[in-house]
Amino acid sequence: MNRDPNRFWNPYLAGVALGLVLLSAYVVMGKGLGASGASFRLGVAAVETVAPAHVAASPGLHGVTAEGSPLDDWLVFEFLGVALGGLVGAYTSGRLSREVLRGPRISAGGRIAFAVGGAILMGIGAKIARGCASGQALSGGGVMNVGSWAFMMAFFGGAYALAWFVRREWR
Amino acid sequence: MIFPFESLSGSQRELGLVVAVLIGFGFGFVLERAGFGRANKLVAQFYGNDMAVLKVMFGAVVTAMIGMVVLDGFGLVDMRAVANTATSATFIWPAIAGGFLVGAGFVISGYCPGTSVVAAMSGKLDGIAVVVGVVIGTLVWGELSSVKALADFADSGYLGQIYLYDVLGIPAAVIALFVAAVAIGAFLGAEKLERIIAKDGAPPSPATPKRLVFAGLGAFALVGAATLALPSAPGAKPSAPAAISAGDLARRVLDEPWKVRVLDVRPMEACAQARVPGAECTPPGTLKDLFLADVSAARDLVVVGEGALAELPPEIRAYRGRVFALEEGFAGWKAWALTPPAPPPAGASAEARAEYGLRAGIHSALTGTKAPPPPPAPAAGAAPVKRKAGGGGCSG
Repeated sequence: MNRDPNRFWNPYLAGVALGLVLLSAYVVMGKGLGASGASFRLGVAAVETVAPAHVAASPGLHGVTAEGSPLDDWLVFEFLGVALGGLVGAYTSGRLSREVLRGPRISAGGRIAFAVGGAILMGIGAKIARGCASGQALSGGGVMNVGSWAFMMAFFGGAYALAWFVRREWR
Repeated sequence: MIFPFESLSGSQRELGLVVAVLIGFGFGFVLERAGFGRANKLVAQFYGNDMAVLKVMFGAVVTAMIGMVVLDGFGLVDMRAVANTATSATFIWPAIAGGFLVGAGFVISGYCPGTSVVAAMSGKLDGIAVVVGVVIGTLVWGELSSVKALADFADSGYLGQIYLYDVLGIPAAVIALFVAAVAIGAFLGAEKLERIIAKDGAPPSPATPKRLVFAGLGAFALVGAATLALPSAPGAKPSAPAAISAGDLARRVLDEPWKVRVLDVRPMEACAQARVPGAECTPPGTLKDLFLADVSAARDLVVVGEGALAELPPEIRAYRGRVFALEEGFAGWKAWALTPPAPPPAGASAEARAEYGLRAGIHSALTGTKAPPPPPAPAAGAAPVKRKAGGGGCSG
């Protein structure tokens, strides 16, 4: 197989492929795709190994431990699959390499700082909205969920609103 | 309905988790191949020179939507039932505020929570930073939600499990056709923008797959719309109405009366004498005045007859939301709720004791008489409150 890190699938074909993956999740499992829910469960599991009493006392955290281990959930296994699929995809496309992706005008350290800061914002937003780009926009959008379509509009609105301010990170 | 396979969430749960890994694998692999493991490719969407995010995301939403509409049209899947288990109820204000935050975080961090996993696995250090940051962010909100004002906001704007076809009042298949048309228009507009903005020449978009995809989406959307003309049209309710037990109805009437509307279709005199709390007396002749086909479908309807209802009146079948018939009708309700329950024997199971507590509570609430307390428990500790299992994609 010819590995060319700059060759991607045609976006329309990729969209249809992603749609079929989502459709199979609906049809086979009766569930949608997700990511941030699994992140939260992984986080709670980590906190639980360090400070179990804190999890039990925190109303925002013990919700996912009430039914057993926070990791015993469809989302966590699906998340594991995403990681494996990403790894195999990156290996076979020649995009598996240690690097920091950034624009030409920012240092690697600066980029990592923005990455962590933006990600924390995203984690908070995903908890408030009960889902992220996968769980709300994709999975809810595909079955015409009203809240998901509102999320999708706000998601693009938020990204376009901030794009100008962080242009030095990328351009 | 053939799908989804309920057993994968129940008795065959281990197999279901294997399927979860496989579906996740497909998700991750496609994201990687689309180039979504690379921050630069993702954020290019917001600077206009490569709108792959719009094309892939919108394309996926439309594909899945049309697939559901077609399968629903042929009676293989119940689109609303799947949506009710696969997605979260709508809380409109948190959805908008959270969506804005996720969008802002996306352009700052370069990834969304899903694509960051792919980036991290491709060795991108910024991707690893985002994976860690998202975990921290969700935990931060987990802690912050002990602040009452914030927790109240997260639960504001509740609209229930509500879908575009409820709001617009037109069939899902027609909406899917319209969304497909909008998507194709947006794709063509995006390509035009790319040509204008990209200085070093837009990434070439081969015409063949594009035409193929557009034609395929259009064709399947038309098939979906055509299923509306089938004799067993989508949305046609099964002949026997879904049943709700007296216990479940009592719980719903007492806990969340704003989410149910109880219609008593017995003769007016019988209903006037005694009825389920909050029920409206609507003998069959008066049903047409309720315009059930046109009113909001947000609340579930519960229909109460004298006994079990074999068939629902056509005016009620026209309702667009969920409809239940009370099992064994008012006679069953009287036996369940208006007769004092027998206390469980000492040493009864926790469930039996909880059941008795509930029935006794409902009985005393409805009749004004207090039931005797249950015998002392063999072991302390209340039964844990069961949360909605599964839940929405990211909602865990």
